[in-house]
Amino acid sequence: MGNKIGFFVCHCGINIASTVDIKELVEYGKTLDGVVVSKDYKYMCSDVGANLIKDSIKKHKLDGVVIACCSPRMHEHTFRGVVEAGGVNAFNLEIANIREQCSWAHEDKALATEKAKALARGAVAKAKLLEALETSKIEVTPNALVIGGGIAGIQAALDIAEEGHKVYLVEKSPSIGGHMAQLDKTFPTLDCSSCILTPKMMEVANHPNIELLTYSEVVGIDGSIGNYIIKVKKKARYVDMDKCTGCGDCMAACRLKDRIPSEFDEGIGKRSAIYMPFPQAVPLKCTIDAENCLMLTRGKCGTGPLCVDACEADAIDFKQKDEEVEINVGAIVVATGYDLLDPSSLYEYGYSRSKDVITTLEMERLISSSGPTAGEIIRPSNGEKPKSITYILCVGSRDETQCTWCCRIGCMSALKHVYLLKEKLGDDVEINICYTDIRSFGKGYEEFYRKIRGMKTNFFRGKPSEVRKSGDNFTIDIFDTTTNKLLEINTDLVVLVPALVSRVDAADFTRIVRISQGADGFFLEAHPKLRPIDTFTGGVFIAGCCQSPKDIQDTVAQASGAAARAANILSKKELEAEPLISCVDEDICSGCGTCISVCVYNAIELVKEDDKSHAKINDALCMGCGLCVATCPSGAMQQRGYKDKQLRPMIEETV
Amino acid sequence: MKSYVLYPGCVMPTEQYAYEMSVREILPLLDIKLVDINGFSCCGEPLKSVNQMLSLALSARNISIAEKEGLDIFAPCPMCHLALSESKRILDSDPAMNEKINNFLSDEELIYTGKIDIVNTLDLLHDIVGIDKIKKLVKKPLNDLKVATHYGCHLIRPSEIGRPDDSENPQKMEKILEAIGAKPVDYPEKLDCCGGLLTTNLPESALTKTGQKLQKVQEQGFDAFIDTCPWCHRQYDSKQTKAGETVATKLEVPVFYLTQLVGLSFGVSSDKLGLDLNLSPVDKINFGGK
Repeated sequence: MGNKIGFFVCHCGINIASTVDIKELVEYGKTLDGVVVSKDYKYMCSDVGANLIKDSIKKHKLDGVVIACCSPRMHEHTFRGVVEAGGVNAFNLEIANIREQCSWAHEDKALATEKAKALARGAVAKAKLLEALETSKIEVTPNALVIGGGIAGIQAALDIAEEGHKVYLVEKSPSIGGHMAQLDKTFPTLDCSSCILTPKMMEVANHPNIELLTYSEVVGIDGSIGNYIIKVKKKARYVDMDKCTGCGDCMAACRLKDRIPSEFDEGIGKRSAIYMPFPQAVPLKCTIDAENCLMLTRGKCGTGPLCVDACEADAIDFKQKDEEVEINVGAIVVATGYDLLDPSSLYEYGYSRSKDVITTLEMERLISSSGPTAGEIIRPSNGEKPKSITYILCVGSRDETQCTWCCRIGCMSALKHVYLLKEKLGDDVEINICYTDIRSFGKGYEEFYRKIRGMKTNFFRGKPSEVRKSGDNFTIDIFDTTTNKLLEINTDLVVLVPALVSRVDAADFTRIVRISQGADGFFLEAHPKLRPIDTFTGGVFIAGCCQSPKDIQDTVAQASGAAARAANILSKKELEAEPLISCVDEDICSGCGTCISVCVYNAIELVKEDDKSHAKINDALCMGCGLCVATCPSGAMQQRGYKDKQLRPMIEETV
Repeated sequence: MKSYVLYPGCVMPTEQYAYEMSVREILPLLDIKLVDINGFSCCGEPLKSVNQMLSLALSARNISIAEKEGLDIFAPCPMCHLALSESKRILDSDPAMNEKINNFLSDEELIYTGKIDIVNTLDLLHDIVGIDKIKKLVKKPLNDLKVATHYGCHLIRPSEIGRPDDSENPQKMEKILEAIGAKPVDYPEKLDCCGGLLTTNLPESALTKTGQKLQKVQEQGFDAFIDTCPWCHRQYDSKQTKAGETVATKLEVPVFYLTQLVGLSFGVSSDKLGLDLNLSPVDKINFGGK
């Protein structure tokens, strides 16, 4: 029990000192029961301030410390280290927040000083009752889980694997590669997308430390930082992965060949029911689409399934079932990517009314030489070469009625298309770009934009009100804000550049992984500037477009960052457990189990001793959220460092 | 039988009689009773750009007069409907403004409480009466008459106030037309402005807007053109010949009120629907005897 408390007041430059009378507060501190020393310093978080505290602890043989300063969110961690170094248990420290909750919030110096005194009084009362706590250790499972096999997931998996840790890479579609595999060239350098991506995909496939789980989904996560237990559903492929050679004979034989819209080709190309999304797929294995396959939907396929006849390796197995596997990891990287906004929601742009209104990603598949038209640019309605193509940027982006944010890739992807289309269709093709602002912010982007401006391209600064069919073509009215004129564009192919949005199943996913979504639907980072990769859940990191829209450059950088953050955990043998967790007074606990129903971390269980059951906390799983404490009807559940008997005197003193 | 207070506005009872006639004919057939009361003033919309407070006060005054009857308001004119609805929205969401306006109203011993709704022709026919009920009353279906619809601006915008139909893809008139056997077809110019509100300042431009839209409608081979707004109707019907001159085209598009076509399909005689008051060539279409 603390009877020799040191009281330290920080000026925080003038942040606190200009509104709270420091001298008066220090003098007041000396009068409080239990306080044996009261001091102030300009910046208590500096080395000099830290030494002042440490010296005082030694000189006055303190057993508790109260610091009146900024929010504990800022420096509690720092000060715990300081008092520990001084010889007092780190948890015999109490912080009185007189900055955010006092000096910043008030103007009247006299009143603010009185409030600071009240806060200090409460903190000292609590400090006298604090107990010394020891941090326990948790052993770390040195494996990682990466969710999502796009470029972010690939990069993160490779980086962690190179550190020497085992990585499970889970991808829900049949192949890794993600959206990047769909692209033809990448801005601003015009590298061929698959030429730079395929080697990385192969590296993933061949890396001894990476176990690839494609066509699989994470369905459950238990445990906590250092020791997660993951349930993965491996969806039935109806193809024996060991036997399939990826020859593709079955695809050619399938009765539904060229009948099913290909997801990879954005619906422009068609595929069979047994398919490989694209020729460079990793793994290079076929998958049967259970929603379309005649055998699997009707139990009958003509006189017999043609794929089975065609398969020399005898790999097709209609009896396969979904399978659930359990894996143990210490850290998780979430890299689940993005969806494009469905432009049908902007009825005025005609996406739902005309085949000749397409999205950038559809255009990307038209441009790609491995795409459904073998790289030929056509109007989907009649197969003819377009003479005039109009791009509408910010479709749904920066729009208060749809998505308020910038998609960060739209401008550059349209500029890239200008270059590629001029290359394919010749200089005569007319290209119009309707833009809000051209945001060419990245390295080399502005130079690329300058180059495109010199390529006979019409730039209109404005948002078209409507894409209007006129005969076989379209007319677009646009008010050009650079010339203040209402102009009419006649064109025969319209390309919409839609907003980037979070995955359609993002909300369900956050419940499984226990991370948060921002108001925009993207996953929320722990701090927008200083912890952009971390989430609020320990050991779970986010990378790529699932966190916010970004280009490939930034995605790869963030993925490497996430890998490094994960490796921080995996490289340690053991972690320090959070000591401020719940504890049960077994004599009071009636074993009603209410706490179990509210615990989101599965950290509580009922145990039976001498015919009486009571709750028991698993120290490794408890995160100290306090839900069980608030729910417990008898008060048996208490949180260390915030016990009722510590908080009540604090409240009484303060108010 | 559901009753509504009829708020006639200014254009309908002074000039666009056919709209009022057709409304008064068909609604009773659909079990809607219209109640006429004394004391209404201007809806306030034309004053909005000059004095917004006055505009609000006028709308609120009209609503509070109807509140005394305890009946919802039926405003056939989309412009009046917008003025009243917008005023209702402001008064229901802004307590300070509500108090201020009620202060004005207290001189006449009126009070605005916000308890009644304000509906338009489209709400009434599509949402309140419903397509099924309309279908049941059809005696003379309109034999696949190819119809172009015109919603006008006040009926669908601004969307955040809550208008009778979607601002980008309105379809309720189409649903009603299908119910009475006509064949509505979407056309690119469907949402174009009638030009009517430019009449005071730029009369030439106003007519050009009217002409351009009707010209496109005529080119696309529509049998008829319909609207529900007396202001739009004045442009397309009454001023059609003049509008044609601005685009150097002889325009011969039969223009009806939606309610007139609904009445015809119910077997109401054309003189009761005020068809002889339409100035566009509506006799081009033979509805199978009078």
